Amino acid sequence: MNTQTTLFKKALSNPLSLAGFIIIVCVFVLSMLAPIVAPYDPNYIDVKAILLEPSIQHWMGTDGLGRDVLSRMLYGGRISLLVGLVAVGISTAIGILLGALAGFYRGWVDTLIMRIVDVMLSIPSFFLILAVIAFLTPSIINIMIVIGLTSWMGVTRLVRAEFLSLSEREFVMASRTLGAKNSRLIFTHLLPNSLTPIIVSAVLGVAGAVLMESGLSFLGLGVQAPQASWGNILTDGKEYIQFAWWLSLFPGLAILITVLGYNLLGEGLRDALDPRSGTNH
Amino acid sequence: MSPLFLNLNTAICLSLTLFVAGCNSPNEKQNQIDYTTQFPQVSGGTLINAMTGEPSGLISMIAGESASSAISSNIFNSLLKYDKNLELEGDLVAHWEISADQKTITFKLKPNLKWADNKPLTSADVLFTWQAVTNEKNASPYASDFLLVKKAETPDAQTFRVTYEQAYAPALDSWAGLQILPKHLLEGKDLHTTAFARKPIGSHYYQLDSWKHGEHLKLSKNANSVLGPAQIDNLVTRIIPDNSAQFLELMADNIDLMGLDPIKYSRIIPARPELQKKLALYKELGNSYTYMGFNLKHKPFDDVRVRRAINYAIDKQEIIDGVYLGLGINIASPYKPGTRWSNPALTPYPYDPTKARALLKEAGFTDSNGDGILERDGKPFSFEIITNQNKEREKSAVLIQRRLKEVGIDVQIRAIEWASFISRFIKTGDFDVVVLGWGLGLDPDQYNIWHSSQQASGQFNFIGYNNPKIDKLLEQGRLELNPDKRMEIYHQFSATLLEDSPIIYLSAGYGLTAIHKRVKGIDDPSPPAGIGHNSQDWYIPQPLRRNEISAH
Repeated sequence: MNTQTTLFKKALSNPLSLAGFIIIVCVFVLSMLAPIVAPYDPNYIDVKAILLEPSIQHWMGTDGLGRDVLSRMLYGGRISLLVGLVAVGISTAIGILLGALAGFYRGWVDTLIMRIVDVMLSIPSFFLILAVIAFLTPSIINIMIVIGLTSWMGVTRLVRAEFLSLSEREFVMASRTLGAKNSRLIFTHLLPNSLTPIIVSAVLGVAGAVLMESGLSFLGLGVQAPQASWGNILTDGKEYIQFAWWLSLFPGLAILITVLGYNLLGEGLRDALDPRSGTNH
Repeated sequence: MSPLFLNLNTAICLSLTLFVAGCNSPNEKQNQIDYTTQFPQVSGGTLINAMTGEPSGLISMIAGESASSAISSNIFNSLLKYDKNLELEGDLVAHWEISADQKTITFKLKPNLKWADNKPLTSADVLFTWQAVTNEKNASPYASDFLLVKKAETPDAQTFRVTYEQAYAPALDSWAGLQILPKHLLEGKDLHTTAFARKPIGSHYYQLDSWKHGEHLKLSKNANSVLGPAQIDNLVTRIIPDNSAQFLELMADNIDLMGLDPIKYSRIIPARPELQKKLALYKELGNSYTYMGFNLKHKPFDDVRVRRAINYAIDKQEIIDGVYLGLGINIASPYKPGTRWSNPALTPYPYDPTKARALLKEAGFTDSNGDGILERDGKPFSFEIITNQNKEREKSAVLIQRRLKEVGIDVQIRAIEWASFISRFIKTGDFDVVVLGWGLGLDPDQYNIWHSSQQASGQFNFIGYNNPKIDKLLEQGRLELNPDKRMEIYHQFSATLLEDSPIIYLSAGYGLTAIHKRVKGIDDPSPPAGIGHNSQDWYIPQPLRRNEISAH
């Protein structure tokens, strides 16, 4: 269990991944505290205050219906992060399950699962998601599930590879020789030791899911009105881009910074994991 | 934080100013011109406009698209046309007569009409055009109106007579929309493939001079114009598919007019003095409106009290102010306000939440569990508004959602891509409430929207409206050719519709146009027929013309 803690310590000693970590924490805290820190109700419409420039009253201006952009950004952050975390939770769970089955049992189970992975990877995931969403009601729950169900392939490959290599290790063979059951082998030996690369991939996966949600909402297939998400604030802004720069700039920056944060942290963790850069396991 | 915003804002303004100035440099001289000076009216010059789509051909009865008729209406005449007050008058026709049984219309052509190639224009051309539009082989989208003609004949070269199976009031309107084609150039030709569609010969103010595919169409004055000469020598229509690119060209002085959205009209142009100096803004009421329509086959929308309650609960003025930036009108009948068909005695439902609550209570809705949402028979009053991905409509729906919540109705909103919106929801009738718009013709006949017989999948009465009184009025309206009696019928129709409230009128929007101030002779405010009604009299004074074009 200590490996993960040391990994984090090591990753955070790198200033870039520390910056990423701080960004993520800030975005998290601000979104979680949205009901407290948001100056207005995010859905409060004021048709007399349409498209106001950023000012003391409205730090990020107002949108096409006179709603406060800062408040919408804060509440939108919750959606983005929620979608990111739940979608990655789903994809990681599926990935671990299938990867473990393939890596542990090998043989035809492995072949079958890996061919499914190949098929899934051969379909451009964004278009697959668009096609699936077109048949469902666009809603935040569907978005989370669909993103999760279409992004588990990387984790599966990763877990399978870890299991394959770990199974050949002495401590696993020893345990097997001593008559340990399969479940014991998987849950006490193989899985805990594969956790580090899974965490790295999950952190990077959140960045992808946040981007995906923004993309879907931008296309009008994500979170539905009047709920705010960074993607649909950006869509509203597109209409006024020549005139109301704040409607495109702030959600754009928020997506950029958040995704950057997850990527920096993910990269830092990956570097820390690299055996060539120091101690491991 | 605010200094940062200020800097950013200044930087953006600065770069835009630079950009605009850069584009303007060839026309710098014109920036000093005061466009408000009085100039003598002389003919000549070139007017440049832009369109997003290129016409497929200039025989509009075949092309059936607005891009085609926008150009061809400058080249071809019809038998009749609408004057500035939207009353019918003769175009090619000197006068027309309707028989006592109202089934026969006799058109008398003006004397000595000529095509641009100097050949005479006679009733034979009109008969040929009618045969062409009704010919099954040509598959014209406008055929249905003309298929009702039982017999068409030409007693002499100036007379054209049509007889209908039964009186058909929209007939005259249909003849105002049919552009007359030259028989001598088209007889025996396949209208779908003929070169004439790209090299038309007409009779109107202009004829086609050149057509550069994907770039522009240039029209020049027709010396034989049957209605006399136009003022401006050349009309150039540039093909610019992107709206924001068109706007950049307008700002850079490379086109003279374009249609605007409310934001450009009331925010962007007024905020830029350099644009205001050279662009005149016009607004005119379009012949269209936005509405919220109930699926009348679904409960509780079959109850008129519920429909009226919702009508009272929605603040239409707020939608007009908030979504259309004030550029809309609160209407009470499905006709353009100010026209004869619009019933002036009717007033829209006011915003009155108290009345709404009372009506809902009367209809059996009460908040029995205190959650703020009304229930009837234990079921909460909740429905979904669907609309296509149109920003104005989505925003209207959000405002409606808020107002209905205040009276205890829970509303969800879903914006759906147009093709699946139509095929999956409208055609199948699988919806509660829609927010949509109707674009209307000039004839008051709205049989296909409201008549109970028009409910099949793909037909226009998709809300399932079925009111025998309305059906009868619509049938009468089609048979009545006397304009005053007809007006009575449609006024009654509008009144019945308003009382029954099968849809809620949200706003009749304005058409917004920017025209360069070098163009003079424009009627402002625009008459009911719209700003373009006298475009043949527009002129561009010599000193204001573009240098590069006035050179030849």
